[in-house]
Amino acid sequence: MEAGVAGAGANVMLDRVGLGWRPELAGGNLSNLDHIDVLEVITDDYWNSARGIRAVKMLAAQRPVVLHGISLSLGSTVPVDSRRLDKMARLFDAVRPESWSEHLAFVRAGDIEIGHLAAPPRTAATVDAAASNLEKARAAVGTMPLVENIATLIDPPASDRGEPAWLAETLAASGAGMLLDLHNLYANSVNFGVDPFEFLARLPSAAVHQVHISGGRWIDNGDPRERRLLDDHLHDPPEPVYELLAELASLCPNPLTVILERDGSYPPMEQLLRHLDLARAALSQGRLRKVA
Amino acid sequence: MSSPLLEQFLARIYVDPQARARFLADPQGEAAKAGLPADQCLALKSIDRVGLEMAARSYSKKRQSKSKPRSLWSRLFTAP
Repeated sequence: MEAGVAGAGANVMLDRVGLGWRPELAGGNLSNLDHIDVLEVITDDYWNSARGIRAVKMLAAQRPVVLHGISLSLGSTVPVDSRRLDKMARLFDAVRPESWSEHLAFVRAGDIEIGHLAAPPRTAATVDAAASNLEKARAAVGTMPLVENIATLIDPPASDRGEPAWLAETLAASGAGMLLDLHNLYANSVNFGVDPFEFLARLPSAAVHQVHISGGRWIDNGDPRERRLLDDHLHDPPEPVYELLAELASLCPNPLTVILERDGSYPPMEQLLRHLDLARAALSQGRLRKVA
Repeated sequence: MSSPLLEQFLARIYVDPQARARFLADPQGEAAKAGLPADQCLALKSIDRVGLEMAARSYSKKRQSKSKPRSLWSRLFTAP
């Protein structure tokens, strides 16, 4: 269902709303494809075998698919691993997705695997290094990935600039488009004392093409006065995320593809579909604001 | 002011509790021992300690969840 239909004619931008493909949601996804405009597939789950690649090709025959990488470590000052890029290129060639994306993060250093996405120090050096890695990714795969902002519980050490500036500089230096994760933006904003709408306003909205929405929970180290919001993908997106989505839709000139991410504590499929409708409503509301 | 060496140092204190404890006891000293330049040693002195502990715990949980065997349901719908 295109957002233009769901938005009762208000949204003429052909924005789309979909889900991250997860094995646990496969049945629900496949039986509700008419409510899901697009599916996002995690590349690392499938790129290691011909069987995996065939599975994604079959999925792409059912619904538009976008690919999402999680392990290329493109935000590192270490050059991107060419073997991983080759796997990405092989999967991309086989599936021919609409687009692919990766994070502005480092996930390993030397022989140490961190296990998740870590925020690089925000400096001119990491802007240049990310741009160089992104160019290598473009050369290997044939198209530039969209790059995603990450959530971080720690203010990245040894940084000399704020996150909005670092993101904007990296986008400008690389020429990449952006996958804007609104819950990551929201979590980093509340955790480090930034107004999330000011953060959004400082990003180049014309570079944004895709959006992630998700939820999280508050955690602390034993002192609730020093709690922080963890982006865990185990909870529904909170209301401010939809307000940010509407605001983004009012600023962004591009059609947006919005993906709801959920990585566990899976609710009934109806609940996930309700959140897709909330995203469609927020998009329509923002597009109307833009017209007005 | 960023380098592969700094990333390696950060990765180590994120994943290794003993290295993290040594660092928190003497941030500048441990950073200098790792060969980081003076400006990075100074920057690490004011590290976000609350966030460091939370991030380390979160990364640890992620590594543990990745090492768990996949469910039958998951194996049915993903590649081997």
